[in-house]
Order: sequence, then C-alpha cells, then structure tokens
Amino acid sequence: MTGQATEDPRLAERAIEYVYRQGWTDGLPTVPATRERTDEFLATTSRPADEVIGRLDHLKREVTVELAAINSVMAGCLPDYFPVVLAAWDALMLERSTMGGGWQSTSGPAPLLVVNGPVRRRLGFNSTGGVFGPGFRPNATVARAIGLIVRNGLGVVPHVFEQATQGVPGRWAMCIAENEEESPWEPLSVDGGVTAGVDAVSTTLLRTSEYVDNRHTGDPEKLLADFADTLSRSGSLIFRNAGAGVVFCPEHAQMLANAGMSKDDVRTWLVERCGRTKADLARVGKNGITENGVRYERGDGESEGFDPMFAADSPQNLPIVVAGARNAGMSMVVRLFSNWSGISARVEP
Amino acid sequence: MFDRILDPTGLSVRPAGAASDARRLPSLAGARVGLLDNTKQNAALLLAEIGELMASRYGAVVTIRRTKEMFALPVDEPLLSEMKAACDVVVVGVGDCGSCSASAVADGITFEREGIPAAVICSDAFAVTARAMAEVHGDADFDFLMTPHPVAVLNPEQVAVRAGELLDVVVARVSEEGR
Repeated sequence: MTGQATEDPRLAERAIEYVYRQGWTDGLPTVPATRERTDEFLATTSRPADEVIGRLDHLKREVTVELAAINSVMAGCLPDYFPVVLAAWDALMLERSTMGGGWQSTSGPAPLLVVNGPVRRRLGFNSTGGVFGPGFRPNATVARAIGLIVRNGLGVVPHVFEQATQGVPGRWAMCIAENEEESPWEPLSVDGGVTAGVDAVSTTLLRTSEYVDNRHTGDPEKLLADFADTLSRSGSLIFRNAGAGVVFCPEHAQMLANAGMSKDDVRTWLVERCGRTKADLARVGKNGITENGVRYERGDGESEGFDPMFAADSPQNLPIVVAGARNAGMSMVVRLFSNWSGISARVEP
Repeated sequence: MFDRILDPTGLSVRPAGAASDARRLPSLAGARVGLLDNTKQNAALLLAEIGELMASRYGAVVTIRRTKEMFALPVDEPLLSEMKAACDVVVVGVGDCGSCSASAVADGITFEREGIPAAVICSDAFAVTARAMAEVHGDADFDFLMTPHPVAVLNPEQVAVRAGELLDVVVARVSEEGR
C-alpha cells in the first residue's frame, strides 16, 4: 500500500468535478469511468460491447453494452453487478412505455427492480429490513446505473427531455431483492416465466409507492380490505383502469398464506373488490370514459354503478412481491405507470 | 488532463443544424388544410376550431383530420403519406405533455421537409423540451407556436377563444397571408 499513499487524493476530486462539468451525473458524485475499469465490467458478460440494447429513435439515441458498462462504473457498481444491470435493462426494455415516451412523461415514472435467485446472496442484495433502501451497495448502485443509462445513454435529462412535473420519490433508487427465504409463495420471477432458483430481474415503472400499516387484525379478509382501500385511491385513476402491485412484508404474506391463500387467491380477492363507485368518481370529475379509455368529467353521467380498478386478474396488472423484515405488519402498495410486461429477464454471464 | 475519462453518452457528434422550412403558400384561398391531433385533452377541438376559422376567414378547406395513434412518438410513414397527399398545409397539436410536445415538433419538421408548411402548437410549459427536440431533429430554430398552459382543462368556449388567439400566427406560419 506504500505506493498508493503517495497518490494525491485531490486528483479524485478534480476528476469527479470534471464529470459534473460535462453534465453526466444525476447530481451525486460519480466514479469516473476509465477504459481499464470499464473493461473489467465488460469481461463479466459474453455480450459484445457494441451490441445495441436500447434505443429511442425519436431522440436519435441508442445504448450499447459498452455505454451501459461506463454508466455502471459511474454509478458505483462492482464489476460483478454488471450482468444484473444488463438483465434489469433487458427487462425494462420489455415494458410498453420504455421504448416510447415514458421517460419523458410529466408523471416522471421510476423503475422498481426486483431481483430473484441466488445472485441476491452472492452479491449481497438486501431483501429484508429497509429493503427500499438506502444502505446496500448492490441495491443502490444497480438502480442508479439504470438511471444514468437513461440520462446519459438515452439523453433523457431533467428539464429538457425529462419533463416530470414532480417526479417520483425513489427514482433510480428502487432495487429490491425478494425475501424468498421468508415468503410463503413462489418468487415474482416465476410469474415472469423464469424457473424458481434461477437468477432473474423483473421490473416495471412506478408512479409512486404508499404504505399499508396494519398491525391491528388477525383476520386475513380485514387485512386485505385495508389493502383494497389504499389500492382504490381515485387519484391514480386517469384511465379506465389502473395497475398496481403489492410488496408484502413477510408478516402480512404469512398471515394470508396461513389462512390458505395462494398468491393468486390474494390477487383475485383484491381484483374483485378494488375500484370506485360512479358516485365517488363523479365527485372527483373522473366519471366519464372516452373511447380511448381516458377518464373525463361527465355532467350527464350515470351515478349508479362501480368501476373496477384492475383491467384483468393477472400478475401484469397486479404483481405481488414479498420483501422486508419480519418485524412488523407494514407493506407497500406500488402504483404502476402502465402494466408490468410479465416477463422477467435472466441474469446471465 | 481528464481525457482518459470515458464519455457515457455515446454522442461523438451533435446533429448538424439545417433549416427545414417549406415554401409558404402565397394565399390560403382554396388551400387544403390537414389537422393532426395527438389525443391530448382538447387537442382535437382546438384544431377543429382553428380549421373552421381558416375556412371561414381565409377560404381554406379542411380536407383531412387524423389522430395520432402514439402521441409520444413522431408521425409514422403511412400517416405522413396519407396527409401529404391530402393537404397543402398542416396544423399539429397540442404539445401538452413531456413526450407529445417534443414529438409534435418532430412532426412539424418532418412535414416541412416534405414540402408541407406546418404550424405546430405547444403549451408554453413545454417550450424547452420542444426546442430540444428541434435541435435533435436538425432544425434548432424551428418555429413552433405556443399557447399558454394549461389547455387540457379549458371548457369548449375557452378553447374557441384560444383558437381565435392562435389563428393569426397559424396563418402566418403556413402562408404569406398576415405576414
């Protein structure tokens, strides 16, 4: 270590400031990407550096494996994380909105990444307490890498092509590992078509997340009714239907499973009950629905009836994940920007 | 001294600027007007009102009205061809969201390059992203038209007022009349 002691740490400051001046950061310091470091990342994948893995033709931009590697270096990833970043990116590109105008949207959607399989332990992803972060390098930097790729690779920079009105808390910071060890159900990746026990990333864009704290009842139907109330919030109904997921804490998931409910049973229970009456919707000016499925204020609309929240009873409309610590009954409802693709991407070398 | 730090953008060259203006029509009398709305709330109504005023005050004829299937993305080739064949000038709008304001500008530039004068209407809240899109599409100075934000929550009477306010600039954008 004697050789390193002679290096001037102020060089690092100057390099970090250089990256800021180029407009390449998300506001936090980055690790300046050198050729050598980037090559270490590229060595973790069999995919060619010049493979195009994403594009926005209308912005005349494309992302290659190499650009993804450079941005992953900058995000603070370790080289071994890079296959996870690539899988997350592949899964993201399967989403309906990510190849269109989703990144430019005034709603400022944010990807939620969910990691399944042994890679969680191998790389040290947090799946338990404080799973939404911060504090764990793989969770924090993989999510951030995706954000830097969107900013730098796709050119969607805030106030220019990124037109978020307020954005979403936790944007570029939501990478959770599923708590498979304490989940009573199959992992999300199985819903995404990947065999249990295989490393995979699933992702969809969120508009926000909001907690359901219920340490009050041992009755599974009362517990689910509490979720149904939060899920059915009218503010999220801008179209005919809205998608939402639930990240159950282990305690809630286990209570439901102990009552004999599978993940599909839970979803069906919620899909059947979530929604708002036409009278509720009239009160907030969202009782009409155009041919294109957009809600509007309809003066002469019917006041009887009930609009269901979910378009269909499927994991695409209502994905269910289990994550967090087993220390309290508090879970998270996550609001989907559209629907989940329903396809998980394998993490492969 | 930092030339060994890699560029994460992949942008080796910026798109070169080239103006795209089509020739303005000398007069709107008898001119065929195309309206391209992007599904945003009040877009179709605003364009319809403008079209009616172009007809009643300048003798133009609205010959084609189309709605974009993907408001976030630039106009596709079949729709472009169809509109090119059916109109002499086009009115595009309303750029009233993050992606659709940018794509409306891209549409305007595309029409102009095809020889069709285009009036693109954007909400003034999206001026920066609309201008950035003009740069990406190689016409940094592309002249889009702005109307005060918001548009989506206006009632029909207010939309008609907006149309009246925009008429002169739309006409001047696509023809020599009123210039």
